Amino acid sequence: MTNAPLNFDLLVIGAGPGGYHAAIRAAQLGLKVACAEMGAVGGVCLNIGCIPTKALLHAGETMAAGKHATEFGLNFGAPTLDIPKLNGWKDSIVKKLTGGVSGLFRANKVTHLVGQASFVDAHTVRIGDQTVTASSIIIATGSEPAALKGLDVDQRVIVDSTGALNVPDPVPARMLCVGGGVIGFEFAHIYNNLGTKVKVIEFLPNIIPGADADAVKEFSKSMKKQGIEIQTRTKANSATVNGNEVVVEIENVETGEKTLETFDRVLVAVGRRPRTDGLNLAAAGLQTTERGFIEVNRRMQTAVPHIYAVGDVAGNPMLAHKAMKEGLVAAEVAAGKPSEQDAVAIPGVVYTSPELAWVGLTEQEAKDKGYSVKTGVFPMSASGRAMTLQSTDGFVKMVVEEGSDLLLGVHIVGPHASDMLGEASLALEMAATASDVALTIHAHPTLGESVLEAAEAVHKQAIHIINR
Amino acid sequence: ADAGRVLAVPAARQLARELGVELTQVQGSGPNGRIRPLDVHRHAQRSAEPA
Repeated sequence: MTNAPLNFDLLVIGAGPGGYHAAIRAAQLGLKVACAEMGAVGGVCLNIGCIPTKALLHAGETMAAGKHATEFGLNFGAPTLDIPKLNGWKDSIVKKLTGGVSGLFRANKVTHLVGQASFVDAHTVRIGDQTVTASSIIIATGSEPAALKGLDVDQRVIVDSTGALNVPDPVPARMLCVGGGVIGFEFAHIYNNLGTKVKVIEFLPNIIPGADADAVKEFSKSMKKQGIEIQTRTKANSATVNGNEVVVEIENVETGEKTLETFDRVLVAVGRRPRTDGLNLAAAGLQTTERGFIEVNRRMQTAVPHIYAVGDVAGNPMLAHKAMKEGLVAAEVAAGKPSEQDAVAIPGVVYTSPELAWVGLTEQEAKDKGYSVKTGVFPMSASGRAMTLQSTDGFVKMVVEEGSDLLLGVHIVGPHASDMLGEASLALEMAATASDVALTIHAHPTLGESVLEAAEAVHKQAIHIINR
Repeated sequence: ADAGRVLAVPAARQLARELGVELTQVQGSGPNGRIRPLDVHRHAQRSAEPA
């Protein structure tokens, strides 16, 4: 049986954050849109990324909070954890949100097609057993965990981020996180709070690549204080699974010293790779870069102008909010609007406790770009609100250009740093100065005041600390 | 210091694209020469006037 091809103004391939944003915005602008997805709508972020990790982080933090409450005389006793219930609660949030995306597709009259997409030519794509033609096509196929030689993921003892989302019963006693990036540390924090002894190893000299060096130092100090062991310049060479245990050969890359260590679980979180398998890009006249990305311009157009790529598959940083913005841009350009990915800065967040969040240039990046730099730092230990929240680790660090006072970057380690970051992102987009921030009344007592005080500290006029 | 960066608020950047205005040619009236939507409108009007 041959079906007549389905015709659309726009076909979006992938229903992750980039894809569903593109599909919905294009529909809002009056285009006839189809969105193809071979797995679950919502993509990695909703199903096996942002959302389920944040649910588990909240559970772990609530357990830790119970312990800290004894400091003010509140005793809950030893917590018990119903692991099937925890996993079920996490899954229910995912279900609700992915159901929400499906509902939004229906409400916006986006046609949801199920199946693997494969280009036939630059305007034609096979989706499962259907043929779709479209004036414009957006590729939003995302990424998947990168493999590590010597450590084969079995999703039981050796897991990637997807396997790590399923909390085993009982919780593992000893866990190794291979990779000291955002994903590695979020899982390290989850399992540490659930009672696992966690070790994080990172090949590079520093954890959390891309973050400000001072912020990373402060973050690292807090993680260690909470019991997470961190070894940099260290790699895992091989792993041998014996029943429910795994013996890992760990090597110090500076000294060459090798040790064998036993764990109950190993998480491989060494990065992610763009996913274009099965797409048959060549039929569309496209190719990927050496690292597997599809190159795009600021309008998110590929080398074939009516084909766009957004999100993880279009390049770093692989972040949901970047994909969302790019999805909107691609949809708007496909609808004939003069849209561009013109963001001054893309924020980054590690959702541990304290959180590490940043936007704009690090102090080093600003210097490398030739700026004459001034900084202002306000420690959370001087924040009244942070004290009332029992969360005084961390600081707000502001990087500004000397003379013009122009804000270049904001780096926060502290409670709710991710939410405080919204103000900093807006300030950067509006080309605000440290004075603009310092002159803005921030409610008291709030954590956000620390941003104001960091701006004051740039001018050596902070009130709640001694300015040096 | 960063020669590539034009100081303009997001709404001004969007408006410049819609009106076909090159932001580097626009005189900003805000602090540090920051370009606001009004500046983009003014520039577009001036460019439209006969010489």
